[in-house]
Amino acid sequence: MLRREFFKTLGVVAAATAVVPSMSFAAGAAPKGPNEMSYEAALKAVTNGKGATPSDKVSLKVPEIAENGAVVPVTVEVDSPMTEKDYVKTIHVFATKNNNSRCAAVHLTPANGKAMFSSRIKLGQTQDVAAIVEMSDGSFLSAAQSVKVTIGGCG
Amino acid sequence: MEVSRRDFMHIAAIFGLGAAASGCMGGGVKPASKISLKDVFDFKETGNITLLHMCDIHAHLKPMYWREPSTLISAPNLTGTPGFLCGEAFAKHYNLEPSSLDAYFDTHVDFESLAKKFGKMGGIAHMKTYLDHVRRTRGAEKVLFLDSGDTWQGTGVALKTGGEAIVKAQNHLGVDVMVGHWEFTYGKERVKELIEMLDAKFISQNVIGDDPFADEYEELIFEPYTIEERNGAKIGIIGQSFPFTSTANPKEFTEGWSFGLRMDTLQEYVNELRDEHNVDCVVVLSHDGFSVDQEVARQVSGIDFILSGHTHDPSPKPIVINGCAIVIAGSHGKYVGRLDIDARDGKVHNYEYKLVPIASNLIPANEETEKFVEELYAPFADEMYEVLGKTKNILYKRDTFFSTFDQLINDAIIDEMKCDISFTPGYRWGTTVLAGEDILMDNVYEMCGITYPDVYTFELKGDRIAKLLEDIADNVFNENPLYQQGGDMSRLGGVTYDITVSNSSGKRISNLKVGGKPIDLAKTYIVSSWGGNLQNAGENLQKEKIRPVYDVVRDYIKRQKVVDVSNAGNVTLLDYECGCPEKGSMSC
Repeated sequence: MLRREFFKTLGVVAAATAVVPSMSFAAGAAPKGPNEMSYEAALKAVTNGKGATPSDKVSLKVPEIAENGAVVPVTVEVDSPMTEKDYVKTIHVFATKNNNSRCAAVHLTPANGKAMFSSRIKLGQTQDVAAIVEMSDGSFLSAAQSVKVTIGGCG
Repeated sequence: MEVSRRDFMHIAAIFGLGAAASGCMGGGVKPASKISLKDVFDFKETGNITLLHMCDIHAHLKPMYWREPSTLISAPNLTGTPGFLCGEAFAKHYNLEPSSLDAYFDTHVDFESLAKKFGKMGGIAHMKTYLDHVRRTRGAEKVLFLDSGDTWQGTGVALKTGGEAIVKAQNHLGVDVMVGHWEFTYGKERVKELIEMLDAKFISQNVIGDDPFADEYEELIFEPYTIEERNGAKIGIIGQSFPFTSTANPKEFTEGWSFGLRMDTLQEYVNELRDEHNVDCVVVLSHDGFSVDQEVARQVSGIDFILSGHTHDPSPKPIVINGCAIVIAGSHGKYVGRLDIDARDGKVHNYEYKLVPIASNLIPANEETEKFVEELYAPFADEMYEVLGKTKNILYKRDTFFSTFDQLINDAIIDEMKCDISFTPGYRWGTTVLAGEDILMDNVYEMCGITYPDVYTFELKGDRIAKLLEDIADNVFNENPLYQQGGDMSRLGGVTYDITVSNSSGKRISNLKVGGKPIDLAKTYIVSSWGGNLQNAGENLQKEKIRPVYDVVRDYIKRQKVVDVSNAGNVTLLDYECGCPEKGSMSC
């Protein structure tokens, strides 16, 4: 499951990856296991306990209601000049209620030109999706939105 | 905008109707032809163009009865706002005269006695008379006819012809532009075939290819908008199909197509129409739902009008948000909305709106259209007109938690499938059969004529059932319209429960009982369901029992001969005292 999901996600990303020099993945919604990590713990680890400040500079695009919880499109774009002095170092994507909340960590350099990342993530249930962005000055910015995962049923 | 009030006070006066409506029963049927054309058709002609609008006719070619909800509950922040108004609260909000034609069309109050007085509603032969009247008096070159979708599905004749009979009807009526929702349940390939047969343009800015291996990946599936020129005015019309088609209906019908609200691209198309094409008026033809479109108007700027659909609300007056006027024209062919616009020099100067009730006793039928409808029905007449039985009490659809025709369907399923619990979907389309009337096979199709009709019987754990109910409740009662899907609660047979709508997600339902006993979360129950995808969550599907719901219901009614469904619901509402609360209130 984990392995298959990993390759599936990687495959989709590879198709639209020109921007992304390197990334590390841990697929979401895995059964409880060694990779389990809560959002609180992951946020703490990523920001060294500093936490992140909600910011309009971070644009997080996810659907209000997922068409399919197994492949939810997510796009993060950060308003940044991407110069040596001021650039986005890392874009993290979290599924806050998945057993393993870490979905993606994308490392960038000014050479990327644009701080944008797009992929699909798996959501085990209705929850917030959060983007945590590490800036070159060491600060952390964030954006979050609730995504409903539902069996649906009305019309 | 006060037209409807004046109109129907006038009609009420002529009928001699006062507040004591029930006393008028029996002697009420009048040859109303003298007042009908004048009062129903009366309109303050305005500006240089006219948009005629229908939505959610659900393939109803013939006149029918359709009772509006007597319960329409929402999260407290939305209570009593347009989209969540019914009964007396609706009548008060829109100043309807009691027992008037408007009150009959727009509310459930005194429905059965008024039904005898005013007769059936809608029917394309009567609608055609009105459309022709407007085209003749206004000048056909000034008129556009727009359709917000849910047109191809909802009756036996639609189902049997794979939607074709309804496309022919649209061509006959002269529909110019449409969007879709239930249309998609014929499947992608059939949708494309039907669009080939359709004279109207099918537009949608929010349907995008999402199969990475298909040519249409990330491409628009339909034209996002159309620019129509009428009488010197350029009207930009952007299409918005139902944003949640792939969650509300089976995904396999639209595999490879992605829906969603897509307000960012909607804004881009609005800007494109204004800046590059210099249109005089921007219209969004939408199947988002009335409350969602109010949110769209808040977030997208530069739209002049949203012609909404999906939630089946009759709205006698437009609501104006952020400079955008939103209208919606009920359901089942009961109404045509008429919107006259003065659009010149890149902007809208004035407009006038009226929601016109297609009252079949007042508006004469177009004979040619009547003949045309009979021809469409002819191949299926033996089946459709078969009398299955009679009903002792009124059978209706709608209401937030319970309706008698749905209860009849659940009774039929439980009787045949021997299940503990039966799930029937909370669609807002269907029909109404008056007390004492025959139930025809046509009526059964009106309630459950869908392209995925199978009743599945399977096992589901108690805790899963409890969670599912909470999930469904959140789709209906979420305080943010963008997280709703615009239906009512699924109807449950074999189950009773209490609900506190204003509680947070996952905490609304209590006192859940199956077969009169408190639900055992660890126990496995036998569940039957249709019209959703609940079976995917279950185990040990009983394949030999799978059968279309309309056959199950037909056979049950035939066995019963006379059905007697009580209007006592199975749901206790804890935080509202009545079904139609006013704004800011939990009571009436």
